[in-house]
Amino acid sequence: MDSITGLMNGFSVALQPQNLMWAFVGTFMGTAIGVLPGIGPALTIALLLPVTVYIEPTAAFIMFAGIFYGAMYGGSTTSILLNTPGESGAMMTALEGNKMARQGRGAAALCTAALGSFVAGTIGTLGITFLAPPIAELAFIFRPQDYFGLMLLAFLSVSVVMGTSKVRGFISLFLGLSLGLVGIDKASGLQRLTFGVPDLMDGVEMTVVLVSLFAIGETLYVASRFGLHKPNLNPLAGGIWMTKQDWKRSWKPWLRGTFLGFPIGALPAGGAEIPTFLSYTIERKLTKHPEEFGQGAIEGVAGPEAANNAAAAGVLVPLLTLGLPTSATAAILLAAFQNYGLQPGPMLFINSGDLVWGLIASLYVGNLMLLILNLPLAGLWVRLLFIPRPYLYAGILIFSLVGIWGVSNSWVDLAMMFGVGLLGYMMRVYDFPIAPVLIGLILGPMAEVQMRRALAVGQGDPLIFVSTPLSAVLVAVSVLIVVVPAALHWRRTRKIDPTGESSSI
Amino acid sequence: MTERPYWIAAGTMGWGAIVLIKAAELPQFDQHAYVGPGFLPSAIGAGLVLLGLMLALQIRRGVSFEEQGAEDVNDDHSVSWKALGLAAAACALPMLTMKPLGFVITCAGCFVLIAAAFKSRRWALDLLLGLGFSLLCWWLFRKLGVQLGGILPLMGK
Repeated sequence: MDSITGLMNGFSVALQPQNLMWAFVGTFMGTAIGVLPGIGPALTIALLLPVTVYIEPTAAFIMFAGIFYGAMYGGSTTSILLNTPGESGAMMTALEGNKMARQGRGAAALCTAALGSFVAGTIGTLGITFLAPPIAELAFIFRPQDYFGLMLLAFLSVSVVMGTSKVRGFISLFLGLSLGLVGIDKASGLQRLTFGVPDLMDGVEMTVVLVSLFAIGETLYVASRFGLHKPNLNPLAGGIWMTKQDWKRSWKPWLRGTFLGFPIGALPAGGAEIPTFLSYTIERKLTKHPEEFGQGAIEGVAGPEAANNAAAAGVLVPLLTLGLPTSATAAILLAAFQNYGLQPGPMLFINSGDLVWGLIASLYVGNLMLLILNLPLAGLWVRLLFIPRPYLYAGILIFSLVGIWGVSNSWVDLAMMFGVGLLGYMMRVYDFPIAPVLIGLILGPMAEVQMRRALAVGQGDPLIFVSTPLSAVLVAVSVLIVVVPAALHWRRTRKIDPTGESSSI
Repeated sequence: MTERPYWIAAGTMGWGAIVLIKAAELPQFDQHAYVGPGFLPSAIGAGLVLLGLMLALQIRRGVSFEEQGAEDVNDDHSVSWKALGLAAAACALPMLTMKPLGFVITCAGCFVLIAAAFKSRRWALDLLLGLGFSLLCWWLFRKLGVQLGGILPLMGK
């Protein structure tokens, strides 16, 4: 099926009243969640996973996609109005956006952020529409060793890129990998790391680990260091709409942000942080009003916001075509696919064409909904921040219990919630990144399957892992990612300061 | 003063050692797939031990641990152990009460404990809100098909 007919079919699915309703529910919840502290898109989708028993897959994924895009929007609203970025991708927006709001130009900042997100989201979705099918075709000629190389690259780049310390990034990854080992080994039927507990035979439940690490860890962390900053709401005075000048200064950063965000988001471990940061730096270099940067320059809002949303679209490309999650949210979406017995990858486009294209079409619909939902309702969303914190966090714990107890009514899961929650607290205090744990947990078992397949094909010869051009390149890049920074660091400390120490290794 | 949390390195190595010991009980190699069920656990366990050692070395050289930023966190990151204790108690409570007392009562208890950890003083109101919210969640998610158990397991319901 080529892209155009696929997309047309997709729209016929996405525009059914019932699916439109799910898209609305998703975008609405997503925006609310992006605004609220303590819960992000990954956590929300994880909490809603048990619901998948009742809702049919297409509707569920349309809702999840709405949450995913909506959370990006919600983050920008609070960054601009309150200087509290709800998620990491919105950090750069807060820099200039909040300055603009303080000068009474909050409305223009919100406007350029919303329109920029819309432009980027739409171009990004176009990118998915036309790039995903050929990449999925390409994936048919992938051999097990190519998949293994790809996963190796994802493991290493996630651990190196996320967080401040590589050693701590790798500890997170290996922790996730070790949790992924728990359960019955599918190839041999032997139990691994189950310690004789029957509840662990099916492995560690992804939802339990994710909810505990994010929600429980965050609640413990914030409770122990609680200090409410009274949000100072900047009034939306001074022009509701963007001026002609604002338009002229915004459209180029939108496009540049999009073309930075989409490809980087599509790379393993690309994420949203790097493109937003790059976009901010580039806009700062290219602007005709350098004196305004740091004081509220509209380019500094338009570019990073576009990059942020384009990266979110980019993340869906490897997920849908190769089954490769590159962020915590993508890992949860993959778990949702697996809940339905679906495996993202090339076969998905053939076996579940309606679902994939319905999902892609709903991204266009969701983007438009978000634009309509966000411009007039920004003031309302911000009210959410005035929920008393004791009730907000107590509510988050109850939702977590729904998610964890609802999976299998198992006492072991509750004990795990406590243990992994404490681990999440500790990881926040000592600055260990959390995403590598999830990537390790979900990709580890898949990588093991591919490794065994490759070795079976190669009759035990380890050289099989570099036997195709693609796998050789992937393995080489993986090695370079680890070796080059380490070598550079070693040389630098040798040259300048023989006793030099740095926290950046 | 630099904090030197050697216990994290020890914990990492300890878990790695457990993985290694458990992996040693399994066959490392296999006739058909060449690597057996024990191969990857051994590799991961060894990796954890190695990473724990590297972390210990870094700690010895005085590497700094910056706490992660979050919303609603006070500026100097001062820790209230009482609040942490209350919040931890809220997370531990379900292990004790979920089976005998059921979802609604457990969640109401968690609600009150978390509210107390966040310095709410209105116990009666918290309890009422907690009960109402738990009941609403229980009813709503049951409608959606999530199994959350009976409302009062002690009374056989």
